[in-house]
Amino acid sequence: MVDNLLEVRNIETFIGQFHILEGVSVSVPRGSISVLLGRNGAGKTTTLRSIMGITPPRSGDVLFEGKRLNGMRPFAIAKLGIGYVPEHRAIFKGMSVRENLQIAERKAGDLARKEAFIYDLFPDLERLIQLAGGNLSGGQQQMLAIARALVPDNRLLLIDEPSEGLAPVIIEQLMTAIRRLSGQTTVLLVEQNFRMASQLADRFTIIEEGRSAVDGQMSVLKTDSALIQKYLGVA
Amino acid sequence: MLRRTLNSNWFYILLCGFLILLPHLIGWLTGDSPLGVRGRPVGQSIYWQGIFIEVFILAVLAMSYNLIFGFTGVISFGHALFFGIGGYILGLSLEYTDMTAETGLLVGIVITLIVSTLLGLGIGLVSLRLKGVYFAMFTLAVAEMFFIFFGRFALTRAEDGFSLTELPEWIDPTRNRLVFYYIAMTLFVLTFMFIRRLIFSPTGAVLLAIRENEDRAKTIGFNTLAFKLLAITLAGVIASLAGILQVIFNKKVGPELLNVSYTIDPLLMTIIGGTGTLTGPIVGAAGLHLSDRLLRDLVVTVGDTSIDIGANWTLILGIIFIVVVLIFPYGIVGTVNRWRAKRRA
Amino acid sequence: MRPNALIAGLIAIGLLVFGFLTTPDLGSFGITVMSGLFQGMLLFLVASGLSIVFGLMDVLNFAQGSYFMVGAYVSYAIHHDPSVTAAIPNADLRFIIAVLSATVIGAILGVFLERVLLRPLYSRPIFQIVLTFGVAIVMTEAVKFVWSTTPYSWTSLFTLREGFFELFGQRFAVYRLFVIAIGFILIIAIGLLLQRTRIGIIIRAGVEDREMVEALGINVRLVFTLVFTMGCAVAAFGGAIAAPFLGASIGLANAFLLSAIAVVVLGGLGSYGGTAIGSLLVGLAVAVVANFASSPSIGLPVLSSMTPMLLMILVLLVRPSGLFGKGG
Repeated sequence: MVDNLLEVRNIETFIGQFHILEGVSVSVPRGSISVLLGRNGAGKTTTLRSIMGITPPRSGDVLFEGKRLNGMRPFAIAKLGIGYVPEHRAIFKGMSVRENLQIAERKAGDLARKEAFIYDLFPDLERLIQLAGGNLSGGQQQMLAIARALVPDNRLLLIDEPSEGLAPVIIEQLMTAIRRLSGQTTVLLVEQNFRMASQLADRFTIIEEGRSAVDGQMSVLKTDSALIQKYLGVA
Repeated sequence: MLRRTLNSNWFYILLCGFLILLPHLIGWLTGDSPLGVRGRPVGQSIYWQGIFIEVFILAVLAMSYNLIFGFTGVISFGHALFFGIGGYILGLSLEYTDMTAETGLLVGIVITLIVSTLLGLGIGLVSLRLKGVYFAMFTLAVAEMFFIFFGRFALTRAEDGFSLTELPEWIDPTRNRLVFYYIAMTLFVLTFMFIRRLIFSPTGAVLLAIRENEDRAKTIGFNTLAFKLLAITLAGVIASLAGILQVIFNKKVGPELLNVSYTIDPLLMTIIGGTGTLTGPIVGAAGLHLSDRLLRDLVVTVGDTSIDIGANWTLILGIIFIVVVLIFPYGIVGTVNRWRAKRRA
Repeated sequence: MRPNALIAGLIAIGLLVFGFLTTPDLGSFGITVMSGLFQGMLLFLVASGLSIVFGLMDVLNFAQGSYFMVGAYVSYAIHHDPSVTAAIPNADLRFIIAVLSATVIGAILGVFLERVLLRPLYSRPIFQIVLTFGVAIVMTEAVKFVWSTTPYSWTSLFTLREGFFELFGQRFAVYRLFVIAIGFILIIAIGLLLQRTRIGIIIRAGVEDREMVEALGINVRLVFTLVFTMGCAVAAFGGAIAAPFLGASIGLANAFLLSAIAVVVLGGLGSYGGTAIGSLLVGLAVAVVANFASSPSIGLPVLSSMTPMLLMILVLLVRPSGLFGKGG
């Protein structure tokens, strides 16, 4: 029985009156890279935000390392060891790269300990350390956003559409970095780019109209073009 | 059709009837004539007519504020501006010109309508550039500026203001209070009917949509600016009419008309009565003004400290306001409505 | 950022030149500038809290001017109270205690407002604005209840208050310099806090994106309470040190609130540097206009009290985000 780091059990989430998630279940085994797939508007981002407590589920359970996250505020959930890298990166544009990393510290000295590892993954960041976040390119901002999630000891990373708006070369660099860090950290990815998702992830869950439709091993999905066509509309 | 109108509005019609008869009722009960004694304003009936005139004026002001704040969702802190402008224009027209009293009155009203419309459009246009808090600050600044300016303007006797001595006799509340009572009541009823009509019309539906979510209303295709302009201008015009009534009743024009308290009062009354409801502002205005009058001389003794209710009325009002905002955000009428809706479900 | 600093500089120079041209001699020019700086510093003490709280919490605290007023009354009351005077005859010490008490009371009232009254309304921004308005009214009425509506002038002297010095043939009160100095120290201190400390980084990040700050594991609500309380405490402190010069009166609340709002709009909501510069500019403008407008040939003293409003309206119409703001 694989040890599941994160278990989402049949959550339903409302935003205002809109019933966005009508029953989503996801299992994320420890040490894996899992991906949430699905068409635009299916509810992938909302699922991540529900896990993080930003748009808390109205029913259902979210368990992290066996602990129920229901009703917890986002900061408390984060402190359990979950790092969130939102869509559009959300780095602080008016602050320097260094300050963006510093704010992510949860214990004194976090950054000092992780610096070497972070610069190894993303060498550009070391060069740009004094630059203001707003002056970075899209790809550099994405690297900073991921690096920021690596500063504290996060055991799970939630990354939302990292490849959005980036050139293929940068995407390749990102993929390499994510593959490398997955050795130490479990990753749950949302990715619209199927090529990237299929090369990176071990497991997948397809979300369709607010419900989790299919899940399983990525190696199996890659060969099933009928399934891919049905839910993702891309060959 | 008449039958249907009567059926669905029986409560309002009854209330109107009551208000029409009220001065006579009091006169009959107390023996004081509704017309005063030998043309002088004395007696219980006259006294209560005065109180209700004030309630009518405040209710009209509150309803106009509710149109912007409660129905369209626009925060304005400059409502006193319209109230005061109405008063000043009428006063100037009567006192500072050579026209006869009647002409002065008529001209004053017409000019007030024109000026308040223009002012409303002007301020409303600014809302194109400024949203929410920024717009509120803008209205506060403009109103405050007018207040300071009129308070020092020599032409209008600055801080002291001036009295109205040239009123047409038939409207003079000292000599013909009953007539004025009915005039004030008419404006009150007309305002209510007008706003009610407006809110239940397609235009009103758009205003409510803007309150819920202006961006969504825009994407649906409505020209939200035009509708906001309409609401702000209408509300401003109505408020200026209330201002006219106020100066006629008090027979005095002064910068206190532009004081922020004439923005705070309708705000308080609307919220306590029920934001975004039709009768809320009326309940708020009547409730608060009547309480103010009735409790004015009340002194409560707790232990060995005595609290003069009348002198500290604003403090008590402020505390009630905070409690309402926190615990009963829908106000009296709003909370009752929801309670009734729940019982039906 | 650069061109805006240039504009600010130009406005300042323009004001100074105008002031210089409209004052009869160097001495009165000096008084005008000092008066402007004095006013500007007090404005900064009220406006800084207003600005940071708005940037971080999206709440415009309409009660901010009332905290200034309460600070003035508390500081006055303690310094003049007979039993306190008997217990602490040393006027200087009494002054320090008066100011400290006023600041602490401001902080306590600030915590109360934020935790008890504002927090339940986070999801209803319209009501938040309206609530702070209501609190401002209640605070003014409460002060009236305790101290009556008569304005108080500061009569109990202490060393700083008694000193004078001469410059260009005019006498200046040392106390004005004291307030200006305190103001400068605070501007720099708060600035350093924002730039160099962890809480400063959190506040600056929160102004940009508070949802992300919370997702990083930081209890944003606690930060809200802290920042809000500090804003109120600093405003109360401002009132407390202003009282020896301005006395204690109900009118302080409204006057400083409106001027502080003008400062924040001019400098840019949410920008600390903008608030600091804005305060000095508005303070200077009011002093210069007051001096100009009260000269016999113009005779329109009302202009000076209208100046902050006029500036604010101008900025709102031309460039709502102000000099350095985060956007209208």
